Amino acid sequence: MIFSVETWHITVFSLAVGLASTLVILPFGVALAWLFARRDWPLKSIVETIVLLPLVMPPVSTGLILLKIFGRRNPIGQWLYDRGIEVVFNWKGVLIAMAVMSFPLLVRSVRTSFSEVNPRLEQIAATLGASGLRIFFVITVPLAYKGIVAGALLAFSRALGEFGATILLAGNIPGRTQTLSLAIFNFVQTGKDPEAYVLLGITVSLAFVFVWCSEWLLRAGKKA
Amino acid sequence: MLLRCRTPLANFELDIDVSFDARVTSIFGPSGAGKTTLLDAIAGLRPIADGEIEINGRTLYSSARGLNLSPQQRGLGYVPQEGALFPHLSVRKNILFGAERHRDIGNAEGIGIDHVLEVLEIGKLLDRSITELSGGEAQRVALARAILSRPQLLLLDEPLAALDIALKERILPYLGRVRDEFGIPMIYVTHNLTEVLTLADWVLMIQQGRLVTQGIPQEALRSAHTIMQIPDEQFENVFTATFIEADAKAGRTRVRLRSGTELFIPYLPQPANRSLHIRVSADDILIGTQRPEGISAGNVIAGTVHRIELIDGQALVTVSAGEEFFVRLTSGAVTRLELKEGTPVFLIIKTRSFRVL
Repeated sequence: MIFSVETWHITVFSLAVGLASTLVILPFGVALAWLFARRDWPLKSIVETIVLLPLVMPPVSTGLILLKIFGRRNPIGQWLYDRGIEVVFNWKGVLIAMAVMSFPLLVRSVRTSFSEVNPRLEQIAATLGASGLRIFFVITVPLAYKGIVAGALLAFSRALGEFGATILLAGNIPGRTQTLSLAIFNFVQTGKDPEAYVLLGITVSLAFVFVWCSEWLLRAGKKA
Repeated sequence: MLLRCRTPLANFELDIDVSFDARVTSIFGPSGAGKTTLLDAIAGLRPIADGEIEINGRTLYSSARGLNLSPQQRGLGYVPQEGALFPHLSVRKNILFGAERHRDIGNAEGIGIDHVLEVLEIGKLLDRSITELSGGEAQRVALARAILSRPQLLLLDEPLAALDIALKERILPYLGRVRDEFGIPMIYVTHNLTEVLTLADWVLMIQQGRLVTQGIPQEALRSAHTIMQIPDEQFENVFTATFIEADAKAGRTRVRLRSGTELFIPYLPQPANRSLHIRVSADDILIGTQRPEGISAGNVIAGTVHRIELIDGQALVTVSAGEEFFVRLTSGAVTRLELKEGTPVFLIIKTRSFRVL
């Protein structure tokens, strides 16, 4: 049986950390997307550009930056280490790499869906006495929820495919930080082609399902 | 109500300074005159550079005092042109959206939900989704939502503009009922003269961001100065009439105006409360200096010329015949008939020239 305990472990680990990373970035991504879509503030375009950077930068470069930030020689890394939180070369590093790399996709998708909500509806809700928070949760988010879910799915798929930043920040340690992408690389390098093909099948299937769902939601969102 | 507002718009400056006190105040003017901007400013949805807004003795905005209440604090009900119903909520959730507004901000007198549903006849729509509503239903739901937030003032932005003519005539009476039943003052923005004449007690006519004239609609809008601004098809007489009897076979209905003048209008069965609004275009009334014989028109009314105004080859003739009728002729016709103030005349109006609102 090719679908061994090892492949099973790698798949579950990738899915779990990917899911955790998506859940962690979701509230921040939604909040930031709203600030981009609905508010004007100083240096907004600079912040927008920085958020989008990981989308176009070589993932390895992003990984190197993260390694420098979270490495023990950096004050941030040192500060975390002093509190018993070590990021580099364990699953937290995987999570951070996934989060940073998938964040721009989430923000872009959610931002678009917020801009498509008619601002007149929010204004009228305000004249009816609804607070900013109530308008956000009762009007804006429900009207944009398809875009939010689609963005989360896209971010999750991107997280599962993460390679460059992960390998720098978390390494490729079987049983500790090895995700699907890292494992495929490893199997091919060591000549274990059949194992690599099984993982390949898994990644293709997962990616297909997620992208299909995300596109379907965005199409349905347009129609409504 | 005090409205002083100065703010630059794309092509001109909005500069209004008026105070008025009426049940229904209509802001009347052509598209792009700054009407919606003014409503948005009153509702607090749009910043204004300089001014003061006071409603029922309460200051909502004052640039001098640095006071600017949020839309939430203003306690106004706004029905925008497109209705702006929340598409993901049911009709019920839409109309109750503002119902929990704090009493001390909104209108102190309670307005019952059942009463609103009954007046606007939307009780049956409660569990529908917004996408299943027709244009007229959607506007009534938007109206109900604004009323149930118990506002100090209702702001209506061309609530009928998106509807076709037949539907307009069906919705207009609902607005009249809202005015009469709930006692909420209204500011009604429109570019339609009939709506002004039917609903408003006071009219502010604005153009290019400035006040052209204000006053009681029947008077303010009939001055020569304003008349040229009004599109031809809207140049109308609007009367309140009482139903007397309907004759289906003859195809006509007899009604009586407030002055006692009786008229024939196209057949319509007896309405529920016998009171109706009828209108006739100023271009559809003939004037004769002798009582005509052997003609098809159902209405011949004796009166005297009250006033004649000549503008650009057109004559705007006001005839007193119990009510004031407004007739538009060519200047040539006035010369030919030797019409002067005080000339006795007969108004000739086809039965089918009347429309019921």
